Formats: sequence, C-alpha cells, structure tokens
Amino acid sequence: MSEDERYRTSTQYRLWSFTPSSLYALRKTTNLNAANRVRAAVQRLREAQAVSSTEASEAENGRSTSTLPEGEVDCLTVEEELKLVAFYCRQTIQLGDHLKVPTDVKATAIQYIKRFYITNSLMTYHPTDILKTALFFATKTENHYFRLTKFADAIGKTKPEDVLASEFLLTQGLRFTFDVRHPFRALEGAVMEMQALAHAGIPVLPGGAVVEDRPPNMDRRVKDAHGKAREYLKTSALLTDVYFHFTPSQIMLASLTIADPELTKWYITNKFPKNNNNTAAADMCEKVLGTVQKCADMLRTVEPTSEPSALERKELQALAKKLKKCRNPEKIDLVGLQRAKREGEGEDEKIIKKRKMEREQSAKEGEDLFGPEIKRS
Amino acid sequence: MSRNAISRLGDNPSDDICPVCKSNRYLNPSLQFLINPECYHKMCSTCVDRIFTSGPASCPVPRCGKTLRKRGFHKAFFADLKIEREVDVRKRVGAVFNRRQDEFETLLDWNNYLEEVEGLVFDIVEGDAKTRAQAEEKLKAYKEANSGEIEMNTRLGLEEGELEKRREKAEREAARQRRLAALKEEEEEKADLLKNRKEVLDRLATEDGDANAIAMQAQKVILKKSSARRNLADTQMETNKSAMDSGLTIRGLKKKEAPVVEKPYDPFGGVDLTPSRYVLQESYDSEWLGNAKRDMRHMAGGYSLQEYYARTMFEAFSGLGVFIEDEVADRGQPAPPAVGTTPAVGAIASGEEPQSKPKPQYKMESDDVF
Repeated sequence: MSEDERYRTSTQYRLWSFTPSSLYALRKTTNLNAANRVRAAVQRLREAQAVSSTEASEAENGRSTSTLPEGEVDCLTVEEELKLVAFYCRQTIQLGDHLKVPTDVKATAIQYIKRFYITNSLMTYHPTDILKTALFFATKTENHYFRLTKFADAIGKTKPEDVLASEFLLTQGLRFTFDVRHPFRALEGAVMEMQALAHAGIPVLPGGAVVEDRPPNMDRRVKDAHGKAREYLKTSALLTDVYFHFTPSQIMLASLTIADPELTKWYITNKFPKNNNNTAAADMCEKVLGTVQKCADMLRTVEPTSEPSALERKELQALAKKLKKCRNPEKIDLVGLQRAKREGEGEDEKIIKKRKMEREQSAKEGEDLFGPEIKRS
Repeated sequence: MSRNAISRLGDNPSDDICPVCKSNRYLNPSLQFLINPECYHKMCSTCVDRIFTSGPASCPVPRCGKTLRKRGFHKAFFADLKIEREVDVRKRVGAVFNRRQDEFETLLDWNNYLEEVEGLVFDIVEGDAKTRAQAEEKLKAYKEANSGEIEMNTRLGLEEGELEKRREKAEREAARQRRLAALKEEEEEKADLLKNRKEVLDRLATEDGDANAIAMQAQKVILKKSSARRNLADTQMETNKSAMDSGLTIRGLKKKEAPVVEKPYDPFGGVDLTPSRYVLQESYDSEWLGNAKRDMRHMAGGYSLQEYYARTMFEAFSGLGVFIEDEVADRGQPAPPAVGTTPAVGAIASGEEPQSKPKPQYKMESDDVF
C-alpha cells in the first residue's frame, strides 16, 4: 500500500477535497439556500408582528416593527461571504495567539471554520459564535487540553454556554470528521531528509544510489528555506483554499518552492527515478511539479506578512454591517435555541430523574439493618 | 413407600417362596427359580420338572395359561424380571434391526433409524396387547423383507467380534512376550555382573598391579556392557513394534495429519507498508530533536524517535501523487440550485429541507440542528 493510497483513505481526501469549480458551486448553492431562508424567515417574522400589532392597541403601533428593516432583505453574495470568512479566519489566528495555543490548534480551527462555511452560510450562523467553538474543538482534537471555563474566561465576554451552544451544529457541519491533515509535520520530514542528504550520503529512493550532485551550499539553504516555508504554512496556507485543492505533501513542497525554487525542484526531481525508458515516472514528476507550482501560486495570493489594507478594512466594515442586516432572525440566539431544544426534551429527563430517585430511595432502605419500614395496608 | 422399596430389595418373602408350590428357601436351601421368556412367570426348578417334564403344558400361574416347554426355562439374569424381559426383547429386535452406521448417508438418517428401532422396542416392552401385537407384526415383516441384509450384517458383526478377539489375544501375547523378555534380560544382567565380579577377584588374586585401577577398569566394562544391552533391547522393541503394526489392522481410525506449522502473525494482513518514496534512516540530525535524543526524561518513557521519523517522513510524501483536480472532478457537483421556483419556496416556508441538494452520493448537511 503506497503512501498515496493511504492518503486516499483519509476523510480529508474522501470528504473535504474539491476542485475549485465544484467548491465554488457548493458555496453558491449554500449561499442561495441561506438567502432564501433568510427572506422566508423575515417574511414570517413580519407577519407575526403584524398580527400581534393589530391585536395590541393602536397607540402602541409602530414600536415593535422598528426592529426590522423595511423592504427586501439585501443578502450577502458568495464573494462577500468569502471575504468575511477570510477576515474571521485572521481573527481566529489572533484569538489563538491571545490564548497562546500552538500553531496546529489554530490551523485546525481555521480548517473547521472553512469546512463549516462550505455548507453553511454566515447569514445563518454568525462566525463569531462558530470560531470560538471551532477553536475549542481544535484544542481537543490537537491534544492541547484547555478547560472550558478557563477558555471562556480567557476569550472574555464569553460564557461556557456560548462556546457549547453551536457544538453539535459545528460537528454536523464538519460531517463528523475531525481529522485535519496538516503540512507542518510533513515539512519537518522533508527538511530532515534534505539535511541528511546534505550531510551524509543517503539514498534518495529505496534501492537508489547516493546522489552526488547536490546544490551548492545545501545545508545553509535548507535551513533558510525551512523558516520561510514555515511562515507560509502558518498563514498563507490557512487563509487560502489550498487545503481543499491540494494534499499536505503538495502544500508543503509548494511552500518550499516559494522559499527556494531551485532546491525544491532538485529535491522533487530526485524523488522520481531517472531512467531513459521510464517515461511514466518522468510524466509523474512533471505533473507533480506542475501541481506544486499551482499550489505555490495560490499560496502567494496571501503573503504571510500581509495585513488587510485600509481600503479593505473599510470594505470589511461595510460587509459586517450588511451582514448584521441580513442575518436569519430565527438563528441569532443560538444559546436560547439550544436551551429551548434541551427543555423540549426535559419532560423525559424529569421522569428519568424521578425514577432514579425512587430507585435510590429503595436501595437505601434495603441497606437498613432491619429492612424497610413495614407497610400496613 | 421408600421403606417398601428397601424391604423388597432385602428380604421380600416372595423372593424366597415359589409362587406355584409355596415351598420355602428356609426349608429347601437349594431352591432355584426359573423363568420362561414366554410369560416371565417365576417358579422353582422342582415345579418346572414336575409340570413340564412330560411335555408342553400351560403356565400354572392363574389367568396366564400360556403353553410353555421345559426347554424354554432358564435362570433369570436380572432380579427384576421386567428388566430381564426388556433385555430379551432388545436382543431379539437388535438381531433383526442390525444395520450399521456406515450404511447411512447422513448422521440424521442414522439417528432417525435408531429412534424408530427404539420406538419399536418400547412398543413391545411397555405397550398393551394391541400395540405389542402390531410391533411384533412389524418386526416380523421387516425380518422377512430384509433377511438377506440382516444375515450379512450379522456376519459382519461376527467378523468384527472375531477380529476384536484376535486383536486382544495378540495384545495379550505381546505383553506376555515383553514380560518374559524383561525377565530374561534381568537374569542375564545378573549373571553378567556375577561373572565380572568373579573375574575381577581372579585378576586381583593373580595379577600384580594397582588394585584400584583394576577395580575401576572392571566397573567401566560393566557399564559399557549394560548400556550396549539396553541399546540392543531398544532396537528389538522397535522391530517388534513395527512387526506388530504390519500384522494388525485397526479399522475406523482416522488418518493422522501432521500439524501445519503456524506462520508468524502479520498484524497488517499482508498489506505492504514499506515506503516507496524515501529510505527511512535510523537517525536524523535535527536542531530541536538533539535534546530529546539525549534527554533521559524523553527516552525513559519508551518514546521512540524512530516513530516520529517514520511519521514525519510518511506525511512528507503521503499524497504527493494524489491530484485532487483530476481525481475528484466528478464529485461534489451540486444540482442546479432551484432559485425562486415555487416548490423550493414552499419547502422553505413549511420548514422543510430545500430540494436543491447536490447528488445523493455526496449529500451535504445544510440540515437544521435546532
């Protein structure tokens, strides 16, 4: 079973890999559905208010309707949603820095957010709620324990219920898959091997010979490339859609390509056996190089050091305002919805509790030295 | 009731008194009771002589009236005559229904046959006059219909019994031979020992030399001889055994198969996990792993850096040749969104799922949690 076949068994490949066009189509569908729902929900709310206002006295008319804007709701487009998601991903990184969580926790959280908003719209569920839950989930899946109360306190202005309210929502949005394959460890592996290649003569491929013609000054260059590539992986890889379109190995090599194109090309070409009659391997090599280049181009669209410019910031503010107006009024209070749902099921819980009490009571009486009290009938 | 049972077993007077002539064991210690399998009525040998010597006569027991002959009388094997009768019936039925298991195709058939026979026996033993007569009729019919097979099976059974007897005899003979051989050997050994001792004494008396040396040498000779004898005996045993094997055939034994040598356990079930894109080294130089490599606190817990190496190298090349653009192009294509069409709006208004879903095999959850 080759490495590629093993990667194909992962959920990241099976559920969360898309071509750019199919990803866009999915997002478009989600956006349209959500917009339709928002309009329908607003319509329902207005009707309800109209009924209640006519029942109420005429004097109070007009007070309650003021909360809803008049006219057709102006919904976000897919592009606007994407910009906002990118913004909230940056926010997540900042929040992660604030909480001092490791890089992979932040990276996982961002992937959760990105995956969630493929099938859910910002208009339905606001990202400020989701990102806290996503980050909290990421601390768990990346094995970086963070107590919930401490977590909520550290964020500030957050209660544990706020974090937990969208727990199941997010889980469902992630299609119950929590595994995210990151390129970080892959980078360490590649760097480790390149350093070994630079120092000692080890074979590049199983059964292959020791490669003699090394790029000049390789040790130094590998070290430099490592640092730079890591920066790209920590930011650019998270803020772009590369996780959906490429495999961790390709993303890693793309970041190395940006850092040191010559070195990376030498490394990749050496990974495919060079035979005169082995055209399949040569084709594969060409294809990998092409794919890595594509990935690198995508990574370059967001430079690690880049910050949203003043213009962009203004645009984002406008978008946030727009989002506020077009949110689904039925889904704003997630905590309340969660509680309502719980209490809907509370009936059964009460019965269960009562039975439990009775059982405990009888057990206690049974343990009494002279047994339970004799009932006189 | 239990007392009754005990007394019947012990000193029931009916055991000692002949029901016909009422003579008593007390008066006649040589009293012997006989029965006839026609009716299983018990009477003393004197009565049998008296009544049946002159030819067949009817049973003297009241309301029996079966015609009995003196030839049919014999001593009861079981004290309980009911059991005596049942055993006799079984013998009779068994002689007729003497099929063997290897005549049947399946075990179920064999068992069914046994059950049928058992039912017949029960009918004869316990049934009333009518069922008994029926069962006897059946037995007779079967006997007539299958006389040839019955005879053959009887012959086979006899042969088998003969074979068994022969085998037992051979075994007994072999055991006797072994015992004799052992005895003979023992005697020989004793004689040898005596002879040797005598020789040593002679040598000590006649030769001059170190007495100790002579004694030691003699001891050695004795040891050598005895071990040689033992070896000889062993080989003889072997040959005897093989001879015995060839002479006897025991049927029905299953062939012995040499146990298959178990292969070493493969936890991956034959899946080859050898890396194809890199050669895993025993150790790599890494800036931040240098400390961990030497640190007792890391290594004492059983943490293996090789595991880390294997994992990082695997992740570095896992999926390098997976081209998502080519491989997943045909998946995740959503159906054309139904915008503004009446059914979709209706579905939304009624709180149902909108119909504009991607393909069913790639169904996405835009499901409502709350």
